[in-house]
Amino acid sequence: MSKAIESKLLTEYYDDPHYMSFEGYTKRKGYEVLKKAFKMKPEEIVAEVKASGLRGRGGAGFPTGVKWGFLPKNDKKRFLLCNADEGEPGTFKDRMMMEKAPHQLIEGMIISAYAVNAHKSYIYIRGEYTDCLRIVKEAIDEAYAKGLLGKNILGSGFDHDMDVYSGAGAYICGEETGMISSLEGLKGQPKLKPPFPAIQGYLKFPTIVNNVETLAAVIPIIEKGADFYKSLGTEKSTGTKLFSVSGDVVQPGNYEVELGTPLMDLIELCGGLKPGRSLKAVIPGGSSAPVLTADECVDATMDYENLSAKGSMLGSGAVIVIDDSHSMVDLLTVIMHFYHHESCGQCTPCREGTGWLEKLVKGILKGSGRVEDLDLILRVANNMKGRTICALSDAAALPALSFVEKFRLEFEQHIRTQSPVRERETTSHA
Amino acid sequence: MLKCNINGVDLEVPEGTKLIEAFLKAEQKIAHYCWHPGLSVAGVCRLCMCEIEGNPRLQIACNTEVQEGMVASNQSEKVKETVRWGMDFHLINHPLDCPICDQAGECGLQEQYMEYGQYTPSMAHAKVKKRKVVSLGSKVVLDSERCILCSRCVRFTDEVTKTHELGIFNRGDKSEIGTFHDKPLENKYAVNTVDICPVGALTSKEFRFKQRVWYLKDEKTVCPGCSTGCSVKVYHNQEGLFRVKPEYDAEVNEHWMCDEGRGVFDWVNRQNRQSYSVNAENMEKPSSSELKLILTAQQTVEEYESLFEYLKSSNKKVEVYYWKNNPDKFDDFDNLLIRGDKNPNTKGLLETAVKHDITLNPFSGFDGFESFEGDIWFILPENKAVYPLYEQYVEKALKLENNLTIFAVPKVKVDKTKKNISILPLKTYFEKDGHFLNFNGLKRQLKPGPLQVSSALALNEWVSFVKSDDFGDQVDLLSKRKSEGFRKKNEMTQTGGGL
Amino acid sequence: MAFILKDEDKNFVLEELKRYESKYSAIIPSLFRIQKKEGWISAEAVSVLSEVMGLPEAHINEVLQFYTMFNKEPVGKLHVQVCTNVSCAMNGGRELAKKICQKYQVKEGAVSQDGMITVTRVECLGACDKAPMMQVNDKYWEDLTQESAIQILEDLKQKVVG
Repeated sequence: MSKAIESKLLTEYYDDPHYMSFEGYTKRKGYEVLKKAFKMKPEEIVAEVKASGLRGRGGAGFPTGVKWGFLPKNDKKRFLLCNADEGEPGTFKDRMMMEKAPHQLIEGMIISAYAVNAHKSYIYIRGEYTDCLRIVKEAIDEAYAKGLLGKNILGSGFDHDMDVYSGAGAYICGEETGMISSLEGLKGQPKLKPPFPAIQGYLKFPTIVNNVETLAAVIPIIEKGADFYKSLGTEKSTGTKLFSVSGDVVQPGNYEVELGTPLMDLIELCGGLKPGRSLKAVIPGGSSAPVLTADECVDATMDYENLSAKGSMLGSGAVIVIDDSHSMVDLLTVIMHFYHHESCGQCTPCREGTGWLEKLVKGILKGSGRVEDLDLILRVANNMKGRTICALSDAAALPALSFVEKFRLEFEQHIRTQSPVRERETTSHA
Repeated sequence: MLKCNINGVDLEVPEGTKLIEAFLKAEQKIAHYCWHPGLSVAGVCRLCMCEIEGNPRLQIACNTEVQEGMVASNQSEKVKETVRWGMDFHLINHPLDCPICDQAGECGLQEQYMEYGQYTPSMAHAKVKKRKVVSLGSKVVLDSERCILCSRCVRFTDEVTKTHELGIFNRGDKSEIGTFHDKPLENKYAVNTVDICPVGALTSKEFRFKQRVWYLKDEKTVCPGCSTGCSVKVYHNQEGLFRVKPEYDAEVNEHWMCDEGRGVFDWVNRQNRQSYSVNAENMEKPSSSELKLILTAQQTVEEYESLFEYLKSSNKKVEVYYWKNNPDKFDDFDNLLIRGDKNPNTKGLLETAVKHDITLNPFSGFDGFESFEGDIWFILPENKAVYPLYEQYVEKALKLENNLTIFAVPKVKVDKTKKNISILPLKTYFEKDGHFLNFNGLKRQLKPGPLQVSSALALNEWVSFVKSDDFGDQVDLLSKRKSEGFRKKNEMTQTGGGL
Repeated sequence: MAFILKDEDKNFVLEELKRYESKYSAIIPSLFRIQKKEGWISAEAVSVLSEVMGLPEAHINEVLQFYTMFNKEPVGKLHVQVCTNVSCAMNGGRELAKKICQKYQVKEGAVSQDGMITVTRVECLGACDKAPMMQVNDKYWEDLTQESAIQILEDLKQKVVG
């Protein structure tokens, strides 16, 4: 097994406290790649990003260049939106990126905006990140002052305006069409697809939504070329990725490593498990990703293919490490409460199903569960999957399914030891 | 036109057709709540699931446009299971209060449960509690627990009336529809939200608890409330008429009608009617050779035809007076359905008058009538509520010494000893054949429903009576048919409904 | 007490109305502004905003009720939001929330008798590596223990009082 080392493509200068300022950033070659980009044609940038194999770092992992390619091929108005509504439980990488390197995000966004010919962009930052909101807004103002935003940027003839927008507390706004709704001043409810945002997004204009990390990753791709970027990571999961590791490791934090890094190496990079503890499970991609058992972790690598082959997903790169001191019943209750709390309420299966799942799991935790409830959880979750406008319903169903399926014995044992044996009547229908 | 195949049925639909419309056109059952043909697509109930050839994922038919050659079906066990679960998700927090719910009998949940229900409930936890019996103004009552959050009502106030009173507040399974701080929902089309509510969440204050809907029959007809002439359904049974709902009409009102129009059933009911004739035999007596006739634009074209023909053929000296209510408001229009001309047949009256060369003199009371000694025929408007001077004019008329014949739908109180006055009960729009011409000349056909007052005749029927040789005998017969009193209340609602 | 939108806040709202492509986008920033001044957003405030913005009350209320950061009821001077999502729950976030409630004798979501503290459990705030954590008004406090959290709140209380 190879020893994991950090591969700091994006975070190289994050230890430099001045990197967050315009001066500090430009000292570290900041905005140099933008100059290079302006010498390229927009379609060349799109081609380079496509060739790099960069995939969306927010959670869905959709190829970024392909997404950009969906925009209509005309000069009509379109928008670039940066998704900084980091809300997937366990994820805290975008926050660090914005706090430590706001100009990196801005530079990545200007390059991307130039590539997709968008003259206006918004950075939608979750409302709780008040520091990020302030830091990014100040950086934008600075960029305007230095002629990096506004009319005819660096003499390129390209105009671009950028603004921040604050979310107000809703996980669902991390879903790209939920975010668009929120930016439009509506409830953050996801929109029906089709039409997809690239065709009809923000205020019905073609819109590209990319995650903070994705947009920043455009810089090294343009700087060093797609081939270099592709040389990192695996064949299909190229480049580096920031992993937010939390839970039962000695040194939780953000770690940038090549995709394909073995999960166990990543855990080791974080100082390993706490002393005297053994690994029980890992949630590899944020709380919506199906949980992996300790056995499954052994040969898991942190890339899209490997985790998907294991029935889980890379998601946002939030790795939650769980040792043997925790009850899976307890943790699933926490997760189910979250999705119940965050369901936007539009689609019936999600609105009603998330609440039902929480009641079922909580019932088990509190000692009123029945063994049959486990099968009911599976049936409810299976019927929430793939039935709704957005993926929140799936995000609630997947942990429920994986926890109960993979830790069924623990659930059953909990029921047997906690629940007094008694018959419970089902209420009649409706 | 696009060719497609729905559940094995080949059909052609115009471009832009949604798959759910194709299902309905092919007469294939497809579960749905949030989709409504008159509103934007919400796609939230997730029930209209179907399989489309070439697509591994189930799709909702309401947000899928038919493509050339599309093959879609909702017959597989996979779809059926999905829909059954979709139904279940709708029901787990829905109260089981059908026995006291006014929607029972025309409830989307009940109807679709029969088709797509799981029948074995698996929900064993406490339901989410929400607000009940919330008054939303004078017309609508909300029960949040029954609401399935299909958002039809919200889309209606956003897209049709553009009044934006309704919203869905909070989120997840705590979401509730409502108005801001329970402000009244008083727009002029508010009761349409009750019509489109697929469950018992929004009910009509006027109609709720009056009748169980399975005791009602409906007749399609035309609303006589204004010159728009919306297509409507009138719901009735042997006790009378109970409500009016809009009937889809692409040319006139599409899916909607105004709340005012919903009141047009009441004057048809027996208790508000002139239900017998008074001094009908007067009509037989040879009378004066001069006749003044007062009419409104509330009768049918057929009635005017027959009346004007008769007037022309009689050798009397006739003057026709046209009583207009609020003529200065005749051209008002709210850009949706409501018109200022509160008569259903102004166009029909004017055209028929021209055709028969009848001069319509404006009627502005009986002030010029003092020296007139001939006969007077006074045809009262059936919708007296829109005639502000109705009571005043009727009172004046009843004091006239002339040989006066009043044709009336509403009750007219008259001293029976006054032998100069005869009163002939008229049929309403609901009871007669004929048609109106609406504001732009479109023919609005009435269909005769059950007679509520057995001695009532349409104006044209009275005219043919008057013309006929055996008028006297017929009038005798008619007089004998008078007043059979109120029919018994429906037994079931009277004795079985002690909730 | 009737809500009055001060001139400076009204001007803020009018500027925000011009800032975005859609007038509706000004709702969230305007609600934040009111909350910053008043501590919470009342129905009166919604009505006033509706009038100033020319947008339906029901719509503003939909937005207000949808997002959790808006306080629909008055909160204490220190709004203590304790994360109890997975990583924090694994590190004592729930116990921390309970402890703070006990210490200040306040039920979750309610205002303490001295009007000082409201404790709310919240979902993941993106500080999972420094669990458990709490957000007091705008500010994050991370890597807490029950003792350090109470100490922080005591200090903050002193500042507010002082």
